[in-house]
Amino acid sequence: MIGNDVVDLKQAAIDSNWARKGYLDKIYTSQEQELILEASDPDQMVWLLWSMKEAAYKIHSRHTGIRKYAPTSLICTNLEHSNKAHIHGTITVGQIRFYTKSEIKEHYIHTIAASSLPRLSQIKEVIYQCSPSQIDYKSTSPKCVSHHGRYLALIY
Amino acid sequence: MDKNELINRLKPIVCNYSQNQEALENITEETDFIRDLKINSANLVDVILDVEEAFDIIIDNESMEKMLTVGASILVIEEKINKK
Repeated sequence: MIGNDVVDLKQAAIDSNWARKGYLDKIYTSQEQELILEASDPDQMVWLLWSMKEAAYKIHSRHTGIRKYAPTSLICTNLEHSNKAHIHGTITVGQIRFYTKSEIKEHYIHTIAASSLPRLSQIKEVIYQCSPSQIDYKSTSPKCVSHHGRYLALIY
Repeated sequence: MDKNELINRLKPIVCNYSQNQEALENITEETDFIRDLKINSANLVDVILDVEEAFDIIIDNESMEKMLTVGASILVIEEKINKK
């Protein structure tokens, strides 16, 4: 199974104030908070880690059939820049591990996740700058869909 | 505080983050924050923090993970208020 999550950075800046007291504690582990506070661009790190958690959560919740709001139970580790624009990482939930690859652009971050590295490398991503109602993406049968702000991200 | 009173105090909080004001009019215990009220999942944290402030309670992670619907949230709030 595969999952994805797109964050429109402009929209996120409007909608969320992560510096709010208590905010980071409810979403991020102490190690993740360290990554955020030490990052050269803390905003970007907040949403990178968030999109990793969301992409993995979509696979995990579909697989288990259980929905719950427990962002600190999805733990981001092994963040590694493969090149300037891509970051590889892993998410662990209990004993389960997911592999992620995130693309960081000026205006958005898109993360794809899979339960194995070979599966991750097979994912095809398509990103549109439009609202979901503007295009008939459903007929293309994407495996996962993410929409935030100005962006619609589909994976196959 | 009875259930309706709790719902009425919860309503203005979720109203700040809901992208579906119509669903907000017809809010019931079954109303789902993400599916029905279209609250962005990153803003669910704000709902939880606002609830903590408004009711002067602390919501631990174990309770927070259940708070996806109005009904589930009311149960958590009642439990925390009774423990005070």
